[in-house]
Amino acid sequence: MAYTQPQPHPRFSVLSSSSLSSLEHLSPIGSSTRFSLPSAPSINTASVPKPGQRPNIYDRNLNKTRAAEVSASAFAFLFSEMVQYTHKRVSGINDLERRLNTLGYRVGMRVLELMSWRAEGSAKAPKREIRFLPALMNIHTHVWRAVFGKPADAIEKSVQNPDEYMIIDNDPPITRHISVPRDMSSLSCSSFTAGIVEAVLDGLGFPARVTAHNTPTDQYPGRTTILIKLEQSVLDREEAMKP
Amino acid sequence: MSHHLFLLSPSDTPLYQLTHYSSKPSQTIPSPLASNLPSWSTSAFAGTLTALSGATSASQAHHAQGGTVRIGGGQDRHVIQMIANASLDVIEEVMRKENAMYLKSVDKFNEWTISAFVTPGNMKFVLLHETRNDDGIKAFFNDVWELYVKTMLNPFHTAHTPIRSTVFDARVRASAKKYL
Repeated sequence: MAYTQPQPHPRFSVLSSSSLSSLEHLSPIGSSTRFSLPSAPSINTASVPKPGQRPNIYDRNLNKTRAAEVSASAFAFLFSEMVQYTHKRVSGINDLERRLNTLGYRVGMRVLELMSWRAEGSAKAPKREIRFLPALMNIHTHVWRAVFGKPADAIEKSVQNPDEYMIIDNDPPITRHISVPRDMSSLSCSSFTAGIVEAVLDGLGFPARVTAHNTPTDQYPGRTTILIKLEQSVLDREEAMKP
Repeated sequence: MSHHLFLLSPSDTPLYQLTHYSSKPSQTIPSPLASNLPSWSTSAFAGTLTALSGATSASQAHHAQGGTVRIGGGQDRHVIQMIANASLDVIEEVMRKENAMYLKSVDKFNEWTISAFVTPGNMKFVLLHETRNDDGIKAFFNDVWELYVKTMLNPFHTAHTPIRSTVFDARVRASAKKYL
C-alpha cells in the first residue's frame, strides 16, 4: 500500500533518502531531521551528566548491597550473550568450556576479594583461609550465596581419587534457561561457575583444575557437578599441616 | 624517617609503590658499622654496598661528595626494592602457616622492619618501616586493602595491571599521612 502512494509521508521520504547515504545516516545532525518530533534534540543533552560529576570508583561504598541486586532475567540475557559470543569464536566443546571457565575466573577473583572484604574488612584481625576443607565449605556456602543467592546443595569427596572433590548444585540458576542441543550434549555451561571456583581456590593458594559436568537425576534434570581436581602440592601441604 | 610500600601481584609483579616521609619525629641511631667502613667513593656500587652493610652515615657522606640526588643512607631505591623482594621468601613461608592477613614485623634487615598484608586473593602489600607502629600500620593496610578491592572491581584492571590511578595514589598518600 505504501509503495503505491503517489505522495508518501514526508517522514518516510526523509528516512529512505538518508539511509541511502551512509554518511548522513551516521551524522548526528541528520538524525534530528529524521524524526518529526520537535523536542528530540533536547532529550539527549538534558540527561547526560556533566563530566566530573560521575562518582569516582574510590568514592563508592563497597557494602551497599541492598538495592544493588540484578534481576535474574537481566543476568540470563547477559549470560546468553556470553555463551553466544564465545560459541561463535571456538572450534569445539572443549574450547568453549575452557573459554567460559576463563570468563568465570575473572569473576571469581573479584568475588573472592570483595566477599572477604565484606566479611573481614571491619574485623580486628582479618583472617584468610589456609586449610582446604574450611575453604571448600566457604565456597559451598559463602561464595555460592554471594554469586547465586543460595548455598550449593552438597559437597562430596571422591572415593577413588583422594585429590578430587565435588560441589553439587541441583538446579544452577545460571543454566536454568539453557537447553543444550543434542549434538553438544557433553557441554555444561556451568563451566563458568567452575571458573569462579577455580579462581577462588587459586587465590586462597589451593591450585586446582575445576570442571563442570552434567549429572542429571530424575528428580533434578539440571543437576550439575563441579569437579575439583587438586594439584599434588595442595595435598602435600595438607598432609604436612595435620596436627 | 621514611616508609616504603609495595603492592605485589600474586606472581610478584610490582603494581604500585610509594615512598612516604613521615613528619613524625625520628630518633637517629648512628650505626656502629659506619665508622669502620672505608670510603667507597670510587666504586659504582658504593651506595649499595654501604647500604647493605647498614652504614648509615658513611653512605650519606658519599652521596654528599658524589653530588647525586639520592634519598640517603641505606635508602637507595634499588636497595629498598631488593629488601622488599627478599622479604617475600619469608612472607610466603609465614602465610602458609598463619591465617592472619596482617603479618606484622615479618622480617628484618638492618634498620628496616618489614610488615606485610596478604589479601585473600594472594595480593601482597609489603611495607618497610623503621619504627614500631603496629596499630597505625594495621589501619593503613586496611585502607589500602579497601582501595585495592575497589581497583580490582574495575573490569579494566587485571591481576597484572600496574595501578596508575591518581585517585588511588592520592588516597594511599592521605592514609599514609594519617597513620604512619
